[in-house]
Formats: sequence, structure tokens, C-alpha cells
Amino acid sequence: MSRNASLGRRLMIGAGVFITAALVVAAVLIAFVLHRFVQGQIDQRLDAQILFLSSMLHADGDGRLRLAGSADGPPFDRRRHGWYWEIAGPKNVLRSRSLDAADLSYPDINGRPPPPPPPPRMEDDAPPRDHPAPADGLGPYGRGLHFRILNVSTPAGPATIVASSPREAVMGPLWEAMRTLALSLGVLGVALIGAMLIQVRLGLRPLERLRHAVAEVRSGLRDKVPEAQPSEVQPLADELNALLIQNAANLERARKHVSNLAHGLKTPLATLAISLQKHPTGSNDLHDLVTLMERRIRHHLGRARSAALGGPLRARTAVASRVDDLALVLDKVNADKEIAFVNRIPPELAVACEPQDIDEMLGNVLENAFVWCRSKVGVSSVEEGRSIVLIVEDDGPGLSPEQMSLAMQAGQRLDERSPGFGFGLSITSELTELYAGSLTLDRSELGGLRVSLRLPSSG
Amino acid sequence: MKILLVEDDRRLAQEIAHALREENFAVDIAANGEDGQHLGETESYDAAVLDLGLPKIPGVEVLRGWRKQERHLPVLILTARDGWTDKVDGFKAGADDYLTKPFRIEELVMRLRALVRRASGYGAPRLSCGPLSFETQTGVFELDGLPLKLTALEWRVLECLILRKDTVVERSLLSEKVYEGDVGTDSNSLEVIVARLRRKIGKALIETERGRGYKLSSGSR
Repeated sequence: MSRNASLGRRLMIGAGVFITAALVVAAVLIAFVLHRFVQGQIDQRLDAQILFLSSMLHADGDGRLRLAGSADGPPFDRRRHGWYWEIAGPKNVLRSRSLDAADLSYPDINGRPPPPPPPPRMEDDAPPRDHPAPADGLGPYGRGLHFRILNVSTPAGPATIVASSPREAVMGPLWEAMRTLALSLGVLGVALIGAMLIQVRLGLRPLERLRHAVAEVRSGLRDKVPEAQPSEVQPLADELNALLIQNAANLERARKHVSNLAHGLKTPLATLAISLQKHPTGSNDLHDLVTLMERRIRHHLGRARSAALGGPLRARTAVASRVDDLALVLDKVNADKEIAFVNRIPPELAVACEPQDIDEMLGNVLENAFVWCRSKVGVSSVEEGRSIVLIVEDDGPGLSPEQMSLAMQAGQRLDERSPGFGFGLSITSELTELYAGSLTLDRSELGGLRVSLRLPSSG
Repeated sequence: MKILLVEDDRRLAQEIAHALREENFAVDIAANGEDGQHLGETESYDAAVLDLGLPKIPGVEVLRGWRKQERHLPVLILTARDGWTDKVDGFKAGADDYLTKPFRIEELVMRLRALVRRASGYGAPRLSCGPLSFETQTGVFELDGLPLKLTALEWRVLECLILRKDTVVERSLLSEKVYEGDVGTDSNSLEVIVARLRRKIGKALIETERGRGYKLSSGSR
């Protein structure tokens, strides 16, 4: 079995093989015991017949053996049915009528060529036995027989009394019993395998639950797997939780580094930008350079921050409240403008993105909408399968198709007077791609720009 | 107009302060969160420029502290982190506007003027008082439609009065708004400045309320 085969299948195959083997061994043992029992019954019957024959045996004047009466009671009265007897004396042979005058050839229990016609036996060779011996062989009419053979001494000399039963007399009842037995064992086997399947199911359920919990962690529904686990699974759950904590700490540390880097680079850049304004000559060119540096820094810091979150864990962020928070900022900043802002996102709608990234994506897009709108900004959402499309639209002048394609290129700022326009869109577009989503621009029914962010749905 | 600038980078603080003073603003600088918190809670400012990444006490905490002490001055946060999350945190703590570093100083000046105007309760950018008008966005005073040439101290006094026109401005408040923290206030020199202003805009506009302060009157009594 390969190392990564299913645990359940391993357990089932193992238990299945064991149960089958145990049932087969049981069947064989029971068959053996039954065989012996039936055989014992038959032997007793044959031995009784031999004793009966031997008790009726006597010799006539010629030294020939004779029986004192009829010994052909049932079942020795049915012709050619395998229930035979034969007495081989020194001078003559007596046979049951059922033999129909045929010779009963039987294996010789003393290793001599079989009689009949039996030569007179040597006395030393055939010591009389007091207990019949068993033998198996083929009878006169092609029937398999079971023999009981007893050497006796008679007034006429040593004789051999043989009684036989057909092999079916043993095998018939045995097969009969075995059929019932096999059926019972089969039912037992099915019941055992059913019980084993249930046990494997139940036994592996904590693993299935753990897998479910990990999936929920991945989709952001919970931040760690449940701590109360069966003792066999507990260490795994503990290790998983430790890993999750470590992962979160690494992410936080990476974020902080990037944040510090941003601070470290931008503060001197801000100083430089302001110093440059004191020197009118050539300050425009130099300021352009500062702007370019700012964009490069923003671009690469964005990338670095994104890379820091490129781990396996995905968050779950409710969108509506983040939009409200961002609108609070933008409403205050654009306090001079009467802006009717409508947030139509259902409160429970969540996307599988980090909250900071949702803030960054929606913040940039909403900032543009608030700056460019005349009086209306709307946010809504559409669920499309496993994706959620967040739509931000305004009633501003909108963008021409050329401006739209320009706006998506990193570092393009369509209007220098308004902060971040265009550049924010390209940053947002990069972030959506990080989540395997997309950003599209078109015209809103309100008249202005409509920005659609396609993001993975959570759960 | 007096601004509290809380910024830990000494050079950036100097550059911003220098540029703001060029625009006639009085500027006090705090180099860390602790000093910033203290100054904001004890002195009277028209607005504050607050860096979020500060040593000792983070900017957001400083802001929260001010709001807790019922200091309602408008606050513009400076952030080097583009993070909208930082901005949201700042605004939840009570910020009124933000700028992301690096920024153009004109942008900062414009935002500060708009913040102070709105905090004084004026919606429109242009204020007028009799023949005198004040363009809050550019900081230019006009008398009968002609630009008025003023020194920094004169501008500060006149701006303080016009934002509170038709109400008496206490002498102490006026000197607080006009002089920077490290300059010794001298009420005599306040008299001198007012006298010079009266010569430029006409005596009737600025009334002296004895023992209390001054009032810029629109003359429509």
C-alpha cells in the first residue's frame, strides 16, 4: 500500500482481511469437527455391525464360516448402496446381500495385497484386533467407501470382518451442515465488516473535523483550530495552532518592517521635496524626480507588503463596515463638498482578503470617487459564484477610453492637482491581481466612472 | 494663525515650519509624542499637524489624548505609511484631514487654511467684514478689492480677528495665537501691531474693548 493511501482504506482493508481470514479458519475448524462427529456416528454404526457379525459367526463341520442368522438389516439391505459387509475366513467369504455378489475390495490394514480371494492369512501377520480400524477406498460399483476392518479369530481360524458405508453418508450431512454454517458465517462477516466500517468512520471523524477546521482557518472563518481534541489528535491541533500563530507573527513582522521602511524612506523624501521648493530654479524638474521616487517607493513597498502576505492563510473581511470607515475619512476630508454617499453592501458580505488590503483597494478607488464626483458616490456589490464584485461609482466627469487605459498603467497620474488619481488605480489593480481578482473601469449610470473590483468570496 | 507641528524628523519639521512661517503662520514644534500631547493640551492652537509615526507616544494615541481632554482643534495627520487603515485609525481617533508623505507644502498650507476656516464655522472660502475681505484658501486680505500688504504678525492678528468677527477676542487669546511658544509675549507690542493695522485698514474696523481685548466689527450696528 502506498504511503499516501487513505487511512480509512488502510484500516478497512486490514480489518477486512483479518475478518475474512478469521471466518475462513473458523469455517475450516468447524467443518473438521463436524466431519469427525459425523464420521464418529457412522463408525459407531459400522462397528456395531461388525460386533453383531462377529457375535453371529461360527464354523461348520468343513471349517467354513457361517452366520447364525440374517445380518442384512437396514441399511445393509439396499443393494449397491455402499452399505456392505464382508467376512473373509480361511476357506470361504461371506457377503452382505447388498453387495450383489460382488467382491468388496478394501485396503489392507496390515500392508498386504488386498483380498479377496484371500489366501489363508498367516497368524503371526494378522494378530486379532479388538477394535476395528478405519480405511477409505473405492467400492465395487465405483462408489467411494469408508471401511471399518476388524481381524478376528474364529473356530475356523483368523478372519477379517469388513463393514463399509458410502462416503456420502458422511459428506451428505456434512455438506448440509456446512451450507447452513457458511450462510451464518457469511452473515456474521457482513455484520462485522459493517460494524468495522462504522467504527472506522467514527474513529476518523476527529480527523475530518480537524480538516474542516483548517479549511475554515484558510477561508478566514476562524483564526485557529479548536483546542479540545481527542488525545491522539491533540498534538496535531496544538502544532497547527502554533504554526498559525507563528505565521501571523511573521506576517505582522514583515508588515511592520515594510511600514518602517516606508517611514524611513518617505520622511527624508518629504524633507527633500519641501527644501526643493525654496530653490525656484530647476525646482520643477527636481520635484518631478521626487514625485517619480515617491511612486517607485510606493509601487515597490506595495509589492513587498503584498509578498509578505503571500502565505497560505487567507483572511475574511466584512466589506460594508470598512467602506463606512473609509467614507468617514473621505467625507471629513471633502467637508466642503455636499456628497450623498450610499453604501449598498450587505453588512454580512465578506471577501477573502486581508483587511488592510481591502482598505487600500477601496480607499484608493473611493478617494478618486469623492474627489471627482459632483454630488453622488455609490458603493454596491454583486455576488458571482465564488467571486464578489465591489462596484464604486460616481457622477463626476468619468474617463475617456484612452484615459482609462492610461489610468491602469503604474505611475500615471491623470491630474497632478488631485492626489493619487490613476496611481491609486494601478496600485489597486495590482492588489486585486494578488487575490486572483481584477479591476475594470467603465461608465456608470450615474454619469461618471464605475470601478469594479472582482475579489474572491469568503466561505 | 498658530499651528502645532508634531514631527520627530528634525529636518522635516524645520522645513515645514519654515514654509508655514513664510505663509504667516505661527508654528510650535514638538519632536515627540509626549511633548506634542503636552503642548496640545496646554496651549491654544488653531490647528495641529501630527505625524503618526512618533517616538514615545504614537500619533494616534496623542490625538486620542487631546480629544479626551476636550481639545477640539482641527488635526491634520501626516503619514508615511500609505495605509488607509492608518488613516481610518487616525480619523476614528479624531483627525480631520490627512496628507501622505511626501507632499507639496502648498497642499499642506491649503488644507490647514480650510481646516481652520471650517473650525471657525465658515462654509465659504471667502470671508468679508465691511470693506475688508479674506480669501481663506490663499490667505490674502483685500481692502475695497485691493490686496493688503501685511507683516506676519499683522496678518496673524487680523486673521484671528476676522475668523471671530463681531465678537470680542481676549487679549490673552490673541497673543497666544500670534506669538510662537518660545517668543516672550509682550502685550505692549500687541498694541503696536493693532495700531499699525488700524493705520492700514481704517480705525473704525478694529474696536478696543477696554480691559478685555479687540473686536473686528463689520460696522453694521
